[in-house]
Amino acid sequence: MARREPSTAGEAAAGAAPRAARLGEALNRLARRLPLHVSVIGLAAIWSIPTIALLVSSFRDPGLVVTSGWWNAVKDPFEFTFGNYETVLERQGMARSFVNSLIITVPSTMLVILVAAMAAYAFAWMKFPFRNALFLVVVGLLVVPLQMTLIPVLQLYVNLNDWFGFLGNDMPLLGGRLFGTNSYAGIWAAHTAFGLPFAVYLLRNFFGGLPRDLFESAYLDGASDLRVFFRIVLPLSMPAIAALAIFQFLWVWNDLLIALILLGDPDRAPMTLTITNLVSSFGTAYQLLTAAAFISMALPLLVFFALQRYFVQGILAGAVKG
Amino acid sequence: MATVTFERVTKRFSQDSPLAVTDFSLEIPDKEFLVLVGPSGSGKSTVLRLLAGLEEITEGKIFIGERLVNNIAAKDRDIAMVFQSYAPYPHMSVYDNLAFGLSLRNVAKEEIRGRVEDAAQILGIKELLKRKPRALSGGQRQRVALGRAIVRDPAVFLLDEPLSNLDAKLRVQTRAEISKLHQRLGTTFMYVTHDQVEAMTMATRIAVLDRGLLQQVGTPQELYERPRNIFVAGFIGSPAMNFFDASVNGSGGGMELETKQFTVPFPDKRKKELAPYIGKTVVLGIRPENIHDREFQPGGLRAGYVKATVDVTEMMGNEAILYLLVDDKQFLARVDPRTRARPGQPLELALDLDAMHAFDGETQLAIGG
Amino acid sequence: MIGRRWFVPWLWLAPALVLLGIFLVYPTVDTIRRSFQDEKSHGFVGLDNYRFIVDNPQPLVSDTHVALLNNLMWLTVFTAITVALGLIIAVLTARVRYEAVAKSAIFIPMAISFVAAAVIWKFMYEFNSDIGTVNAVVTSAGGDATRWLQDTGAPQTPITDAGPDTLPNPIQVNNFALVFVGVWMWTGFAVVVLSAGLKGISTEILEAARVDGANEWQIFWRIIIPNLSPTIVVVATTLVIQALKKFDLVWVMTAGRFETDVVATLFFKEFFLRGDFGVGAALAVVLLLWVVPVMVISIRRFQFQEETR
Repeated sequence: MARREPSTAGEAAAGAAPRAARLGEALNRLARRLPLHVSVIGLAAIWSIPTIALLVSSFRDPGLVVTSGWWNAVKDPFEFTFGNYETVLERQGMARSFVNSLIITVPSTMLVILVAAMAAYAFAWMKFPFRNALFLVVVGLLVVPLQMTLIPVLQLYVNLNDWFGFLGNDMPLLGGRLFGTNSYAGIWAAHTAFGLPFAVYLLRNFFGGLPRDLFESAYLDGASDLRVFFRIVLPLSMPAIAALAIFQFLWVWNDLLIALILLGDPDRAPMTLTITNLVSSFGTAYQLLTAAAFISMALPLLVFFALQRYFVQGILAGAVKG
Repeated sequence: MATVTFERVTKRFSQDSPLAVTDFSLEIPDKEFLVLVGPSGSGKSTVLRLLAGLEEITEGKIFIGERLVNNIAAKDRDIAMVFQSYAPYPHMSVYDNLAFGLSLRNVAKEEIRGRVEDAAQILGIKELLKRKPRALSGGQRQRVALGRAIVRDPAVFLLDEPLSNLDAKLRVQTRAEISKLHQRLGTTFMYVTHDQVEAMTMATRIAVLDRGLLQQVGTPQELYERPRNIFVAGFIGSPAMNFFDASVNGSGGGMELETKQFTVPFPDKRKKELAPYIGKTVVLGIRPENIHDREFQPGGLRAGYVKATVDVTEMMGNEAILYLLVDDKQFLARVDPRTRARPGQPLELALDLDAMHAFDGETQLAIGG
Repeated sequence: MIGRRWFVPWLWLAPALVLLGIFLVYPTVDTIRRSFQDEKSHGFVGLDNYRFIVDNPQPLVSDTHVALLNNLMWLTVFTAITVALGLIIAVLTARVRYEAVAKSAIFIPMAISFVAAAVIWKFMYEFNSDIGTVNAVVTSAGGDATRWLQDTGAPQTPITDAGPDTLPNPIQVNNFALVFVGVWMWTGFAVVVLSAGLKGISTEILEAARVDGANEWQIFWRIIIPNLSPTIVVVATTLVIQALKKFDLVWVMTAGRFETDVVATLFFKEFFLRGDFGVGAALAVVLLLWVVPVMVISIRRFQFQEETR
């Protein structure tokens, strides 16, 4: 049906009004929502500024860092240098620290997953006396502050030095002692133990959620506990294990206190320790500090970005440990 | 291929809870298709799981063949089970699902392949072997569950309500297939369900359970015609049997059952059974299919007559189901579809006296039969 | 499962139980024991170490009162601000389409170590307003640059003036500066958890309220917050535990100087720098005592979950 031509000016004006009203409405809505957008974007920006400041500063000349704000660097002329990174990596031992952090973190993460998964499987699907009480104790240990544990553990390690002294102080490949203070095995054991309460809690909840039929069917099919564990429980629990791995990885990578107390040798210091020392000796040499800090952050940030989904899922699955 | 024997099996789940299964004794001969039926909570699944070895026996003994299996692990009892939820391993392909049990026993790869493909052939899922369970429909998953059991070639086949997750049409179809499977494999089947239609159609024998106690064991026909007690009488048959409280009058040579609503004579040849109950209460039971519209009653029927009011009619095509009221008491009848019954109208019904059941009012047991 | 021998579950539990026993259970018991012994853990000294903490006889060397009050301040202020901010951000981001990105930005600080954060914020808090971002912003807005990490001054308010004169005042600029770093790091956690909790509130309730005429403010206070309170409790208890354990941050930024000490840093100083095992252990026990009520709350919550499983 053809549109009728407006025969009077009044009708023409009436036809134009709705279109203008729609546009006005859209603008109106935007204006009302503007404070919302401003606040959200503003907050996100404020939150990111410190990290950006760090990143920018780490690429600047030492002289510039102490005289002008990092924000200047983003304007012309662009002055960027890798000099700080070179210094920090070679002369301040960050390269070695990076490797140390890896050596400390990776086994700790793998161990905690294995040990916790075994215990979680028993808690979730096996019957034995005191099962519930024992589980509550394990989870309750979540809140014991590290400070409570360090004096005795250090003492224990010192004793181990004496007992196992005969094993010598030079392990192949890793160097240093096998057990006792300043040993990798010692710190792996410590990190694994401290990570257990949260890990067992998380995994037990997940395992418990698997359908009972699945287990009964497998038992009937002839699977032993070990087979069920490796061929059914673990493959089906990958999301939880991934979340756990990320948590433990970040926690161990970023740990300072345990490394400070149980691992004194600068040769074996992880990055957190090295940076702390840098801060106390080079308090205001921000160009070095920022570069060092960024190196230590790079890997966790990468891990975080790549696996964010699992991280969030993990948090939601249970209380976050300290 | 084996017999299964339950000897006074009792199961209690924890100290304070009541007995889930009490004094259960049953002998299942080889190749039988035995259906365990009962309302929920009757203990039927528990009996199955006790046989499977998924629960521990509190008292009593279970034998598979000649072997006492009380303390033998589930995997060594030579049984296979189909779970209600089918329990497929979600992260494995259908092929791997079927092969799992065999691979655990270190069976040779070629033999595994052979058995898996045979089972897949029987069940018609050969094209699905590479898929994962989440890509399958309910009916297909169920076949995978059946396939897992077939591949194991067990002495006893256990099925726990395998049809309850299927829609009605699929259920009917699958019922027939399971029966065919049983004939083909020639293995002893133990099947649990709450649906008495499934029981009636598939079983060689049915065992009825109520609250942990075995009520009756027999062929479908036996349970239908000669139920041992009120529970079985009311459970088997659909729509369920009608029950009326009645007292026995023996006057002048004949015998009558007098309910609040009507009085019917009792067939002479069964007078003897009721003799001890004169003056006492009994329960009169009669199935809807044995109540006819007087107008269309079958010839030669020995009948007692009742006048009632029609409440609701359900025209089914091949028959009509009438909901009838007599003095506030409701009962059902399955009548000739030509009936002229209309809601609110009175109707005269003919009760088949030969098909009447009587039950002791106190013990609930059937009288005679 | 029938046929599983009785000792099998214990085999599976063994590695975990052994590790926990060695590293958590035994040390807890041992530390408690040491708290009643002298500085080298040789002789029994009863409650002397605890008296030391309460009496604070050597404020210039190790000021226990400062540490205790600061912890109290961390407990309350850190938790309150983080929860509040987390709530506000969760509610705000829920209304924009780029919610996930915004949340990520706020969440990033959780991935970095406290040490790295300390470096970042030392930089930000630098007095020289040519370098220190915060001071740069303040001076360009017309204010004076402050030594954020060293200023022990307090804003002159009736609340802060009301305390007894002999007790140190934890309401200090530098304390707040430190707390804010903690907030910066942990708000992301609060946002994530509260955001999920928020999504659990059925939209129908909110719509019904809007239809009933409630404005956004009323909806926030009278519907969202009550429904969210279990989640808020979860977040709060986690944050409190975090606050009590705070070591890395304070240690790297100020090493507890300028009256920013907390129990954890004091512990480190006593134990490692002064070698006094007794006082160190006593401080650790104090921390544990503060944490126990939180543990009780967590376990009660867990038991409740168990029953509904």
